[in-house]
Amino acid sequence: MTATPTRPDAGAPAGLAAPPAGVPAIQLAGLTKRYGAVTAVDGLSLTIAPGEVVALLGPNGAGKSTTIDMILGLSRPDVGTVAIYGRPPQDAIRNGAVGAMLQSNGLLPDLTVGETLALMASFYTRPRPVRQVMERAGIADLARKRVGSLSGGQQQRVRFAVALVADPSLIILDEPTTGLDAQARRAFWASMREETARGRTVLFATHYLDEADAYADRIVLLRSGRVVADGSAAQVKAVASGRTIRATLPGADAAALAALPGVDSVDIHGDTIVLTCRDSDAALRKLLAGTAARDIEVTAQNLEDAFLALTVGETP
Amino acid sequence: MSITYLRTEILRMYRNRRSLIFSMLMPVILLLLFGRLYGTETLGGAAVSAYLMVSMGLFGSMSAAIGYGGTIAVERGAGWNRQLRLTPLTPRAYGLTKVIVSLLLALPPLLVTYVVGALALGVRIPALTWLAVGLISWVGALPFAALGLVVGYLAKPDSVQPITGLLFMLLAAFGGIWVPAEAMPDLMRRVAEWTPAYWVGQAARSPLFHAPIPMTAVWAVLAWTLVFGVIALRRFQSDTARA
Repeated sequence: MTATPTRPDAGAPAGLAAPPAGVPAIQLAGLTKRYGAVTAVDGLSLTIAPGEVVALLGPNGAGKSTTIDMILGLSRPDVGTVAIYGRPPQDAIRNGAVGAMLQSNGLLPDLTVGETLALMASFYTRPRPVRQVMERAGIADLARKRVGSLSGGQQQRVRFAVALVADPSLIILDEPTTGLDAQARRAFWASMREETARGRTVLFATHYLDEADAYADRIVLLRSGRVVADGSAAQVKAVASGRTIRATLPGADAAALAALPGVDSVDIHGDTIVLTCRDSDAALRKLLAGTAARDIEVTAQNLEDAFLALTVGETP
Repeated sequence: MSITYLRTEILRMYRNRRSLIFSMLMPVILLLLFGRLYGTETLGGAAVSAYLMVSMGLFGSMSAAIGYGGTIAVERGAGWNRQLRLTPLTPRAYGLTKVIVSLLLALPPLLVTYVVGALALGVRIPALTWLAVGLISWVGALPFAALGLVVGYLAKPDSVQPITGLLFMLLAAFGGIWVPAEAMPDLMRRVAEWTPAYWVGQAARSPLFHAPIPMTAVWAVLAWTLVFGVIALRRFQSDTARA
């Protein structure tokens, strides 16, 4: 199940970074990275189309940052290939096609905000005007301040501006709102939305479920370096948790219920049965046709449950 | 090569000029100290005061060049290098900028020690000799600029200070700053002959003795610059570790 929703207004922003049509923004094939005995990323394949806003969701240690490092060419995969617009990451970086916000600080404390952005802009042939980028990131009033004197949230906004200055068609953000308060997070995503409205492709790593749910067209759920679910928030929820069927069925036969199609597990409490299903529709048909079950309730778990179901526990 | 990056680095050095002042303070103090003790003697036909002045100037320029490269460790610690790798700036342009700024920083210590030598110790040598020793010392900072890059890449932000400190001491010892090269014990001299500091020192002081620059010195400086430069470039290309 791979959903690739492309918004109607999708298209490349003007500038050098305009990617060729029909080529995936990001294509990862069989990516594997080991650190000693630990396999951080394990045979990960992923294709992201231009214009998609994708969340890479997973708990700490799921391999999100390692994957992003490989996408950006900051580390080399042991196995597998990375292509950005069909080319090696270094090419895309050289062309200003990619803007990224890493988790590590990445700024020099002794430069002012304005100097930092002017320097970054100077590396590209067609950067966005520094003034405009600062306004977008909400730091226009900080231009003359030294980076070292800013608060964590302000520095975060500077890093966001740095990611935008190349006028990239692909933006990659590694946990962009970590350490921000609720209001700053909302402000960040509001300016992000204005950016994506221009047709940019966005990949962001997060462990905030609500962020993935609210801002991404597509969620890629990672656990132990593998994709465990990939699709829209609704699809991921369904795949992760399926649904739960509750019913009253006196004298239920646990083995028979477990044998129903689409059922993962069965709980019996007196006259009440609880079926955890990966395909509740199929289970329900048989349940109605073949048993005396009544007071049937079908509930979907929320993304939080899906997330926990998929990411907690032992590696399969 | 990025002119904006070079300009920004020079601006940063100007802002952090306190560390530059320290790179000049040490050689000036040593020059005054040793100059008062031995300044009136001569050594192989040259005034000891002039010999000391050239050596101390060299010590200052070496320290400044290595110390600046060492700040790369701090930049790496801050994630700056990872950020730069996400821009079109090439490793070569980055390294070249660092070397140019190192060489710029190597100049003030030379000038200051020469002024102190002339004013406080009464060093009097022909103008051309001033120029020759100054120029050789300055060009001789090249392998140390490259060594600074290596230190900047191998050291951790919190270990870079002691490492550069140790390097200064060793370089000073083998460059003929604590002990004149001519007076070194045989074993020390044999070790010294494998260091760039020794050869830069010999080359920089040769005009005082009206002697030509030893060819070995030219080769030694080139070879060490190349070795350090290649190590630094390789480290830049493979430096991906998250700090």
